[in-house]
Amino acid sequence: MTSTLTASRECPPRAPEHRVGSQVMTDALEVKRALFVEQALPYLDQLYGHAMRKTGNPADANDLVQETYMKAFAAFESYEQGTNLKAWLYRIMTNTHINMYNKRAKDQAKGGLDELEDWQLGSAESVTALSTRSAELEAIDNLPSETIKQALHDIPEEFRMVVYYAVVDGLPYAEIAEIMDTPVGTVMSRLHRGKKLLKKLLTDYARQEGYDVSEVEVESKNA
Amino acid sequence: MPEFDCQETKRHVHEFLHNELSESEISEITAHLANCDSCEGDYDVENALNNVISRACADMPPQELADSIMSRIRIIQQGVDH
Repeated sequence: MTSTLTASRECPPRAPEHRVGSQVMTDALEVKRALFVEQALPYLDQLYGHAMRKTGNPADANDLVQETYMKAFAAFESYEQGTNLKAWLYRIMTNTHINMYNKRAKDQAKGGLDELEDWQLGSAESVTALSTRSAELEAIDNLPSETIKQALHDIPEEFRMVVYYAVVDGLPYAEIAEIMDTPVGTVMSRLHRGKKLLKKLLTDYARQEGYDVSEVEVESKNA
Repeated sequence: MPEFDCQETKRHVHEFLHNELSESEISEITAHLANCDSCEGDYDVENALNNVISRACADMPPQELADSIMSRIRIIQQGVDH
């Protein structure tokens, strides 16, 4: 697939140039680093995808991948050459994620729960509304990745990039404005319009595929 | 402080989801959502869209990620050199 979205994101990891160090220690580290970069860095895309599924958001996935690579590099001597490197990296990621999650759970234990409860309570009121809404959410949730990528390509580039920066990369509006050299107000309106276009394209697709995402009443079977 | 009726609440959905609002605005909106199925439905749909978009693009790590991993590995090396 040739996409402007992916074209700017190719990042082939290059093995670092070898410097001839005088110290044995430095040489050993150079070799280790070169080998690590050559062997482990090609798994970046897969590890990132894995991290996205674990964390559910790009910012945390980014942190998780970085920590995983740092731990893997530190422990690279204990990796047995010829065994499954990807599985080894995934195991490190799993452990890293558990550690990071536990730390965060402790950090956040004090705040945010009250608002969360309000938010959740509000959704439990009407069975009918819930059924209709969950059907729509399920339809969205089941959209194939290829369809979503296609929809992203079908909207104007300046909208697509804002959606990408805000939704996928998780950047603050101010930073997006800086990158795109536009006022924050423009970022906001592009995001708004971009999401609106995407929503239309994707609900049209879902409807074609037989998901009913219109305002049809879904009768409660428990009534 | 604007009154967060349905129109105002729906207008702020992206700012809300991208954490661009003040705490008082967030609590106003949260209070509105708790009592308004229509607005809450809108928020849920936008949030679901964000999730599937993120997921679909999950195979594309940001360019900076490889760079920062490389530079952190170099820093480790320099640390040992000293």
